Amino acid sequence: MNRRIGFAEALSTYAILAAISVALIAPFLLMVSISLTNDTSTVQMKFHLIPQEFEFNNYVRVFTTPNIDIGRHILNSLTIVIGSIIGQVIVSSFVAYGFARFNAPGKNVLFLILLGTMMIPGAVTIIPQFALYRSLGWLGTFTPLILPNFFGGAFNIFLIRQFIVRLPTELDEAARTDGVGPLGIFWYIIFPLIRPIAMAVAIFTFQFNWSWFLEPLLYLQDADKMPLAVAVRTLSATTSAGATPMWNLVMVASMLLTLPMLLVFFFGQKYIFEANISGGGPAIK
Amino acid sequence: MEPAPLDASALVTNRNDSQRRWGLRHLSSRQREALWFYGIISPWLVGLLLLLAGPMVYSIYLSFTDWNLFNPPEWVGLDNYIRLLTRDRTFGYALTNTFVYTFLYVPLNIVFSLGIAYLLNKRLPGMRIFRTIIYLPYIVPVVATTMVFRWVFAPDNGLLNGFLSLFGIDGPAWLLDPGWIKPALVIMSLWGLGSSVVFLLAGMQGIPSELYDAAAIDGATERHRFFRVTLPMLSPVIFFNMIMSIIGSLQTFTQVYILNADPNTPNNAIVMIIPYLFDNAFRFNKMGYASAIAWVLFVIIFVFTLLVIRSSSVWVFYENEMKQ
Repeated sequence: MNRRIGFAEALSTYAILAAISVALIAPFLLMVSISLTNDTSTVQMKFHLIPQEFEFNNYVRVFTTPNIDIGRHILNSLTIVIGSIIGQVIVSSFVAYGFARFNAPGKNVLFLILLGTMMIPGAVTIIPQFALYRSLGWLGTFTPLILPNFFGGAFNIFLIRQFIVRLPTELDEAARTDGVGPLGIFWYIIFPLIRPIAMAVAIFTFQFNWSWFLEPLLYLQDADKMPLAVAVRTLSATTSAGATPMWNLVMVASMLLTLPMLLVFFFGQKYIFEANISGGGPAIK
Repeated sequence: MEPAPLDASALVTNRNDSQRRWGLRHLSSRQREALWFYGIISPWLVGLLLLLAGPMVYSIYLSFTDWNLFNPPEWVGLDNYIRLLTRDRTFGYALTNTFVYTFLYVPLNIVFSLGIAYLLNKRLPGMRIFRTIIYLPYIVPVVATTMVFRWVFAPDNGLLNGFLSLFGIDGPAWLLDPGWIKPALVIMSLWGLGSSVVFLLAGMQGIPSELYDAAAIDGATERHRFFRVTLPMLSPVIFFNMIMSIIGSLQTFTQVYILNADPNTPNNAIVMIIPYLFDNAFRFNKMGYASAIAWVLFVIIFVFTLLVIRSSSVWVFYENEMKQ
């Protein structure tokens, strides 16, 4: 908007945005504050927005207390996340390459199906999938959480395809003239060029799987195997009526669940915003 | 893109040699290209059949059966659907709650996001910092959000009621009050509106400035500029956002599942479609009944999406309409 902004307007804009920001930051602050509260105040449920106590030892205890053992849950989460990223990035890029660079009868219909699958609620497949994994003996393992990523994800395929379509074809042509086959063109030319969008896909896959709740809860069954997101819930659940969970430790676990998301966001925000704009903006025609 | 002839050789090899090896020499270049296409997308195709199409068909079948996972499924015809839609009171609550939540959250999310994006779109220094702050809550995992919002909404020493008491307002018990638990869930979800804001902001920044210049020459006021230029130009983004957030809200699970485990939660006021499906399938082992719930949800999502798409011809403005 090429319009001069007056002092009063600038001031009121800042005031409103500052108020909104404070309201949005307050829950973060509360999470930090509760996570630093000592046990006595926790049992009495004396929590403050501004930290009054600084019990940093809480962050050590969640690792050393045997029945909490956050470290193991973080490892579980990492296993799922890393396996999923490898599958999603490689396979989604490869399939997207097919959609972007090759023509075949039925391709347009398949692309529409690809877009359509994004609208299908997971609810209609979860029971048969559960039965399938159960009959394959995969319950209690990470396989049903990691393996499906090696079939590619519809949204990621779409996102990468949009990116490849915009790349010039001259490099492909040159390589083809030199006798490089389709697989070589993908690996030596396309894959290096799509790094920004592949990074975005890796970040999205991290974000999704790190906070994933329903399917891990369902497929892993064993408390020891649960990822951090599910472990936080377990920690907060009271086994007997009237018992209070240790909210300070629950918030420590919540912090440990949230911090990696924030870190990945800060290092990857360039890629995230670019992908948001190219994938979800008015560019879809 | 013009379809260019491709050869079938993998990597850098002697062309004739590899074509003989693949037995593809008698194929035209177009046929070879098609073969490569299907070869390359085959991982997705296999996944589509094995993890989506196959399970969907099986799930339709299951919805007409009684199945406890251990004995073979027993055909019961339309029984599950009839019971679900006429006699199951909890499912009635689940439907109502899901709809109330969706109809509160989706419009509020769009209105607030639009307002914030409008402010962020002003050419003032420091807007990037505000954009980041506003986006951050969106990336907090729902599990962590739910944990901390239990203390935001705590009746006596909670953050929100503490804030309200500054204005002399005696806040409700939120998550413990059947009448306030859904608004509380909506507020919790609105905390993550940053993703919509970023979408809308990107859309706003893509509006050509000539349009605003032209409006200025015509003497348009700030309000006119927003309602006559920004909003129509943004309507495709709003449309996309609306469909995605409706589909998402109708499938709310994690928050409800976590809160329901708390004995103090008014369950009937918060149960939603997916959590009820989950309970039926994985707590009561009623796989057939749960499959019927899944298909009712499928139809609901389909109908809502169709309604929004149908209505879009009235309110969504595409740039190419102008050119035609």
